[in-house]
Amino acid sequence: MERVLGIETSCDETAAAVVTADRATLSSVVESSIDQHRDFGGVVPELAGRAHVATIRPVVERALDEAGLDPRHPELTGIAVTAGPGLVGSLLVGLSFAKALAFAWDLPYVGVNHLEGHLFAPLLEAPELEWPLVTLLVSGGHSMIVVQRGPGDHEVLGETLDDAAGEAYDKVARWLGLGYPGGPVIDRLAREGSPASLALPRGMLGEGLDLSFSGLKTAVVRATEGRDDLPLADVAAAFQATLVEQLLRKLRAALARHDARSVALAGGVAANSALREGVTALATELGVTAHLPALAMCTDNAAMIAAAGLYRLAHGGASPLDLSARPNWDLREVA
Amino acid sequence: MIVLAIETATPACALALEVDGSVTEEVLDLERHHTEALVPGVARLLGAAGVAPGAIERVVVDRGPGLYTGLRVGIATALGLALATGADLVAVTSLEVLAAAAARAGARGELVALVDGRRGEVFAQRFSLEPLAALDAPRVLRPEALAPELAARPALLGGDGALRYREAFAGSEAIDLAVPPPSAALELSRGRDALEAVLPLYLREADAVANFSTRTRAT
Repeated sequence: MERVLGIETSCDETAAAVVTADRATLSSVVESSIDQHRDFGGVVPELAGRAHVATIRPVVERALDEAGLDPRHPELTGIAVTAGPGLVGSLLVGLSFAKALAFAWDLPYVGVNHLEGHLFAPLLEAPELEWPLVTLLVSGGHSMIVVQRGPGDHEVLGETLDDAAGEAYDKVARWLGLGYPGGPVIDRLAREGSPASLALPRGMLGEGLDLSFSGLKTAVVRATEGRDDLPLADVAAAFQATLVEQLLRKLRAALARHDARSVALAGGVAANSALREGVTALATELGVTAHLPALAMCTDNAAMIAAAGLYRLAHGGASPLDLSARPNWDLREVA
Repeated sequence: MIVLAIETATPACALALEVDGSVTEEVLDLERHHTEALVPGVARLLGAAGVAPGAIERVVVDRGPGLYTGLRVGIATALGLALATGADLVAVTSLEVLAAAAARAGARGELVALVDGRRGEVFAQRFSLEPLAALDAPRVLRPEALAPELAARPALLGGDGALRYREAFAGSEAIDLAVPPPSAALELSRGRDALEAVLPLYLREADAVANFSTRTRAT
């Protein structure tokens, strides 16, 4: 049985996992350095890089141990490691560690695209999903709509032209003095507010499937500057409703145009309650199967990297030991 | 005894392999290709010596101070090799390796080891060479701040920091030594205890620059 160790260090999570070819996750360990970044309102690359060096070995050791594998002679068939996109000073920690393991264990390894990893997350949790599958991948670093006609067969239909959705949450939360990360706190506040109390412009009204959130963030700043009388809950509710409306409108168009039979959410913003409710309702209305990931599968993890690696290794994708980190690796360049 | 030493504290990437007392040393790259060059270099060096990875008993790694990305590649690789092979992990500093290499080459008296710290600074530490001993702690400073100290208490200079700031240190003699030789790291590491964890010696706080505007409604 194929069995792959996945390693992920593209941003602020150091993660390792062992996944089998029948998509059983034998272990999945995630250590985040997010507490170190909180005061800065965003991930500080140098702090993230330093944290990975300190945590990579214990995280991989725990993932092997929890999968019942001996680090001297693990019963693995390969290694998958995130090679990009991401912070270069963070990527090269996982990549170097993975290469050392691959060489010492004499195993094939593959540099995986982090975004393709996110696309494999729904397949790990819900193997019954039918193709074509449209995935809305929304996180602090990325926002895109992708159609998949099978594992590894993906086409980017649209992506953000400016900020990522999670980045917009972080920026608005910072503006409102709500701290970092912004997603959970705005989501919570929005439950108690009235979205109609503040008029915000809807973005990207054309036919295309690209996304944009920078204008919305600016509109929130303009509408609330000097307006301490506005209840924060109302501002949060209006912002969230406007952002989610754009995502759902584009997702609806993508599902219709590509005769999708399934829809999935991926990435950190997939934890957002309004987005989850909206996608559930949309799927019911259109008669497609919806997959909402467990919270642990929304954020960066190595199980999804291992799942993508299983596919890539099985399709002749093993990487050479001189592979570079690819901080700007576009999903469209993944063959 | 089979010992592998990894050197990535400067733009160069170098290795040394000791097999039963005989040492081979190789500079793999000079231009910051640590990520690409290091593990293929390890594979080649071990292959040429007919050593299986699992036979490595000790991995020695330079923990800096030096180039942050280089140090992370070198240490992550050393940690991975140690985990996979069960080899002991031992650390040295770039500055003490430079001093050990100078002493091995016959230099005498005092030496200030200097590694280019980028941003107009050097990592520096003063050593006496016979016997080899550190006379102060590693620190980071501007070359022009170090020059008066060298005028007051002369020393030989060694390391890529001495070569880069040749003009600032015009009054001092610099030996021709840019890369801390991993063969000197091998010698230095003998008798040192194995470590569970190794972290780079940064000598600076992380740049804590947020990745977007810090403007808030509250201010």
